[in-house]
Amino acid sequence: MSLQSCYRELEGDYNDVIGRLRTERLVQKFVFKFLDDPSFDLLCRSLEAKDYDEAFRASHTIKGVCQNLSFNKLFQSSNQLTEALRSGWTPEAEGLFAQVTADYNQTVTAIKALQVENGVV
Amino acid sequence: MAAVLPVDYISQTLSLNESDNSFVYSHIIRLDGSFVIRTGDAYRDSYFDRIQGLFEDFGEDKKIAQQHISDLQAAMASHQVYSSVFEFGDERRHVYCTPLAYSEWYLVTVMPYNSLNQSVNRLNREWGYMTFFSCGVVLLALLLIFARYFRLTWQQINDLEAAKEEAILAKEEAVHANKAKSEFLSNMSHDIRTPMNAIVGMTAIAIANLDNPQQIQNCLKKISLSGKHLLGLINDVLDMSKIESGKMSLNMDLVSLREVMDGIVSIIQPQIKMKKQQFDVFIHDISAENVCCDSVRLNQILLNILSNAVKFTPEGESIHLSLFEELSPKGNHFIRIHLSVKDTGIGMSEEFKNKIFDSFSREDNTRVHKTEGTGLGMTITKYIVDAMGGTIEVESSQGEGTEFRIILDLEKAEILEEDMVLPQWNMLVVDDDEQLCSSAVASLKSIGVKADWTLDGETAVQMVEEHHKKHNDYQVILLDWKLPGMDGIQTAKEIRQKIHHDVPILLISAYDWSEIEEEARSAGINGFIAKPLFKSTLFYGLKPYTDLTSGQPEHAAQTRTDLKGRHILLAEDNDLNWEIANELLSELNLNLEWAENGKICVDKFSQSSVGFYDAIIMDLRMPVMTGYEAAVAIRNLKRADADIPIIAMTADAFAEDIQHCLDCGMNAHAAKPIDIREITRLLEKFCN
Repeated sequence: MSLQSCYRELEGDYNDVIGRLRTERLVQKFVFKFLDDPSFDLLCRSLEAKDYDEAFRASHTIKGVCQNLSFNKLFQSSNQLTEALRSGWTPEAEGLFAQVTADYNQTVTAIKALQVENGVV
Repeated sequence: MAAVLPVDYISQTLSLNESDNSFVYSHIIRLDGSFVIRTGDAYRDSYFDRIQGLFEDFGEDKKIAQQHISDLQAAMASHQVYSSVFEFGDERRHVYCTPLAYSEWYLVTVMPYNSLNQSVNRLNREWGYMTFFSCGVVLLALLLIFARYFRLTWQQINDLEAAKEEAILAKEEAVHANKAKSEFLSNMSHDIRTPMNAIVGMTAIAIANLDNPQQIQNCLKKISLSGKHLLGLINDVLDMSKIESGKMSLNMDLVSLREVMDGIVSIIQPQIKMKKQQFDVFIHDISAENVCCDSVRLNQILLNILSNAVKFTPEGESIHLSLFEELSPKGNHFIRIHLSVKDTGIGMSEEFKNKIFDSFSREDNTRVHKTEGTGLGMTITKYIVDAMGGTIEVESSQGEGTEFRIILDLEKAEILEEDMVLPQWNMLVVDDDEQLCSSAVASLKSIGVKADWTLDGETAVQMVEEHHKKHNDYQVILLDWKLPGMDGIQTAKEIRQKIHHDVPILLISAYDWSEIEEEARSAGINGFIAKPLFKSTLFYGLKPYTDLTSGQPEHAAQTRTDLKGRHILLAEDNDLNWEIANELLSELNLNLEWAENGKICVDKFSQSSVGFYDAIIMDLRMPVMTGYEAAVAIRNLKRADADIPIIAMTADAFAEDIQHCLDCGMNAHAAKPIDIREITRLLEKFCN
C-alpha cells in the first residue's frame, strides 16, 4: 500500500500534505508518528473524568495535528467536537465523540496497514 | 263780523298762485262761477266758462263739460261738497269743490293727475331702478357665491375622484402584492416540503437500514444536501424579511477585490464543472485592489447572479465574469467598479425582465420548469446594490442569453503597495484574449517586470526560440491553459523540447487545475496562477521564482540570509506538531528551541540573556499555561526585550481569537496548518 492509498483509506488530502511537507519521506515519518500521539488517549481519559477543559484542549490538539497532516475526515469530526466542548459539556459532544472515535480508528487502521506493508512493524 | 285777510296770504296758503310750481292749484269762486281769486292759467271771468273752455281746447264733448258744470252748480246750490274727475285728452284732473264756511264762496282745488302721476311715476321709476340695481347687485353677489361654491364643490368632487382612483390603484396593488405573497407562500411551502420530505423519508430509510452503512451513508448525503438546500431557502426568506422591515445594514470593511474574485471563482467552479459549462473570468484596468465594502454582501450579489447564470445556462454554453475599474465621479477617494456576468443561456422574456427585481417573482412556465430557490435572490441583490449606492441593469433576450451589469462607487482603501516589486525580468504572456494580455502586461510593468505578449502557442514558441538565440531568454513564461490550436500544456512541451533552458513556465487558468496538474507537471510546467490576474495575484504567484536558478519551485523555499541563525523559541505542547514545525522551519536555518508549554516558554525566555531570542512562535492551547497567558507574562517582564515579536499559531482562525491574541500583546497570528511561507513572511516582517 502506498502513502497515497493510505490517505485515500483515511480520507485525507494527500496533495495538500505533500504540497506543504514537500517530500513523501517526511509525510510518512509524521504519519507514523501520529500513532504515538497521546492526544486521543488524553481525550478519552478526560471525558471519562468529566474534565471538559482538558477534553477541549485534547480535541483541539487532535484537530491541529490533523490540519498539519491533512487528515481531513478526522479533522472535521474533531473540529466539531472542539466547538461542542469549547464552553464546557454540551449534549452533542457525546455523538461527536463517537464520530471522532470512529474516524480515529479508521485513521489508525489505515496507518497500521501502511506500516505492515512497509515492514516497519 | 268780518275777518279781513290779505289776498296774498290766502293765495299762498291755498297754493293759489302757480309760481311755486306746485301741481295743485285752487280757485275761489262765487256761486255764479265768477272768480274771487284765480290762479294759474285761468284767465276767464267765470270758472264755469273755464271748464267749458278747457274741454273745448282739448276737443272734448261739450256735453260732458255741461254735465260737470251742472253737477257743480247743483252741489254749490245745496252747499254740498263736489268731487269729480275731469278727463280731457290724456289729462285727468281731480276737482274738489268745498263751500267755504260762513261765506258764499267756494274753494275749488284742482289736482292734475298727470303731474302727480309723473312725479309718482318718477319716484316709481327711481325706485324701480333702485330695485333693479339692488336686485342686480344681490343677484351678482349670489352668482359669485354660487360660482365659488360650485368651483369648490367641483374641486372637492375632483379630489374625491382622484382619491378614489388612488384608493382603487392602491387596492389593486395591495391585492397584487398579496396575491404575489400568497403565491410565493404556496410555492415556498411546496419548495420547503420537498427537501423536508426528503429529510424525513431518508431518515426513515436510514433507521430501517441501521446495519447497512453504505445505505446510511447514502441517506445521510441526501439529508445533508436537502438540509443545505432548505437552509438556502430560509436564508433568503430571512434576508427578505430583514429588507422589508428595513433592518438590513452594510458592514463596511476593507475588502480585497482579488480575494473576493478568487473566492467567488472557487465557490462557483464546482457547479460550473458539474454542468460542463465554459467559464471565463476577465479582469482589467484595476488601479485600486483594496476598497471599502461589505464583502459578505458583495459576495452575495455575485453568487446570486452567478448561480442564476449557471442554473439557466444549458450544458456546454458559456458564462463570462468580468470586472474593471474606472475613475469615479464621486471624487479621488472613490473608484468605480464595473461587474458584469454574461451567459449564453436561455435568457428571459421581456415581461419577466421588467419585474425580475420585484419581490416574490420568478418565471413560471414550461421553459423554467424545475425552478429552484425562492425567487427572492434578485430582489435581495437589487436591494443590496441600492444600499451600496450602485446600479444594476439587466439585458436579456430569450434563447440568446442574459447579461447583468453592476456599477458601484466604492471608497478606495489606502494600502501601501511599496513592497510589491519583482526583479527586472523579461517575461512572456500568452493568452488568446488580447485585453487580458495588455492588462497583465500593464500590471507586470507596475511591479517592475517588462513583458511581451502573444495570442497563440505557435507564435509563443517562435518568440521563445528567437530570444534564446539572441541570448536574451525570457525569465518567466505565463501560458493560458485553453489556447486556440496548440493548448498551454502542449506549448510548454514544445518550449521544453526546443530549448533546454529551465525557464519557469506557469499556467494561468480560471479552472480548477487539480485534474490537469499531473499532465501539466510532466509537460514541464512549474506552477499555476489562478485567474483573475490582479496585480497582487501576479506578484504573489511570481514571487517564489525570484531567487530561482532552477525551475523547481519545490526547492524554492526562500533561504533568506537575514533569518539564518536567528534564535526562535517555539511553544507547542504536541510532539508531532513540534516535529512538523521543526522540520519545516529547519529549511530557514533557524536556531529553533522548543518549549513544551506556556510556562516553560516564559521561563526559558526570562532565563536567557537580553536579546538572545529574536522571536517567539506561540501555540495557544497548551496545558499548564496557555499561549495567551504566556504572552501577557512575557510582556509584563521587566526586560529590555520584553517587546520581542510573538507570533500566535493556532488551529482557530476565528476573528475573535485573532483579536484575543492581539489583546494579549502578540504581534501577529498565523493559522494552522503551518504554512512555511506565511511564517517566513511574518518572521521577516518582525525581525527586521
